[in-house]
Amino acid sequence: MKYKDYYATLGVERTATPDDIKASYRKLARKYHPDVSKEKDAEEKFKEVGEAYETLKDPEKRAAYDQLGRHSPGDDFRPPPDWQQSFGDTQFSFDDIDLADLFANIAGHSRGGPRAANAPRSGQDFEAGVRLTFEQAFAGTEIEFDMTVAEPDANGMLRRTPRKVKVRIPKGVTDGQKLRVPGKGAKGSNGGRDGDLYLDIRVDAHPLYRAEGLDLYMELPLAPWEAVLGADIELPTPAGRIALKVPAGTHAGQKLRLAGRGLSRPDGTSGHLYAVAHIVVPTVVDERQRALYGQLKDGSTFNPRAHMD
Amino acid sequence: MKFESTSALVLDETGTLSFAQLVEQSGLSETDLQVLVECGALMPRDTHASHWTFSSRCVVTARTARRLRDDFALDDVHAVAVVLRFHERVAALEQELRRLRAML
Repeated sequence: MKYKDYYATLGVERTATPDDIKASYRKLARKYHPDVSKEKDAEEKFKEVGEAYETLKDPEKRAAYDQLGRHSPGDDFRPPPDWQQSFGDTQFSFDDIDLADLFANIAGHSRGGPRAANAPRSGQDFEAGVRLTFEQAFAGTEIEFDMTVAEPDANGMLRRTPRKVKVRIPKGVTDGQKLRVPGKGAKGSNGGRDGDLYLDIRVDAHPLYRAEGLDLYMELPLAPWEAVLGADIELPTPAGRIALKVPAGTHAGQKLRLAGRGLSRPDGTSGHLYAVAHIVVPTVVDERQRALYGQLKDGSTFNPRAHMD
Repeated sequence: MKFESTSALVLDETGTLSFAQLVEQSGLSETDLQVLVECGALMPRDTHASHWTFSSRCVVTARTARRLRDDFALDDVHAVAVVLRFHERVAALEQELRRLRAML
């Protein structure tokens, strides 16, 4: 087992009071928390600081840690012979265990008073980020990923266990949504409930569609004559190409609603697809086309800036 | 190695859960959750009901509150409620930023 100097990690003396330890942890949490820190390797440092605080904030765990003796960080060591009798609830080997896992096996009593060694212990929840393509989010999908959870082995000792999980993502999920997969965190022990798996969904941007809730928006480029005269066009939608009748006199920014063609949920609710008209003009015109535009100009009384007069 | 398959539940406004389920899934105590409701950080579906129920979206809010409390070693739930409010505003702005960037 490799030694870690939790006191050095928190920057406090071994004689530090609980208030000193908390104050130092708070300072370091503000410095390295991934939500607020711009420091390089902030997440890794925050994990190290959190692991140290998790042990030193708890009087029982801190006493157990102190009894391990002083070693240099990274050194291989074994706890003193009577250590396990004093602090360990279960029989286990120290050879293939991380210091954090060792202390996870000590029930501790930092909250809610002391707890019995055989008290029900809920399994740890697990959180993971999931990146989906737009198409996967639209149609629903099944994803697989590997994770490592701390759960009790045959001797009741918490160990990091590799787990491959397959999850069905329902159709209609959107960027930023959170999903819960019941019972797929770490196993509980002594009758405690299994933990849950929480998924943080990110949906890649699509070149044509963007989602707002269940509604989808897309640009509908129209030639000037299509906007003025109307047109029958073929439009790509996430569920396939459809025929769309563009009404005569469609103006830029006008939204054409395609009911029920947005994202849909398994419960049957669905959003709409809005095609937003954009008038696109040709950048290159030949002599004949220029003459036709000239005739249009001469023959029209339309003034798009009449409201400015 | 175990290989398992199961369905994920979307934590949005459509699902409903009880106060006890929210306690279990958030990891917060009943007292802490009550304070968060009193602060307006969590909204029951009907504040006048004899037994509160919540949208499953509240699981996300309550778990964020617990994470902020633990990560920053915050002792006061009222302080957690204030931090939570700013955290949710930042998250909403970041999502809006991603959406606008995607439109460029």
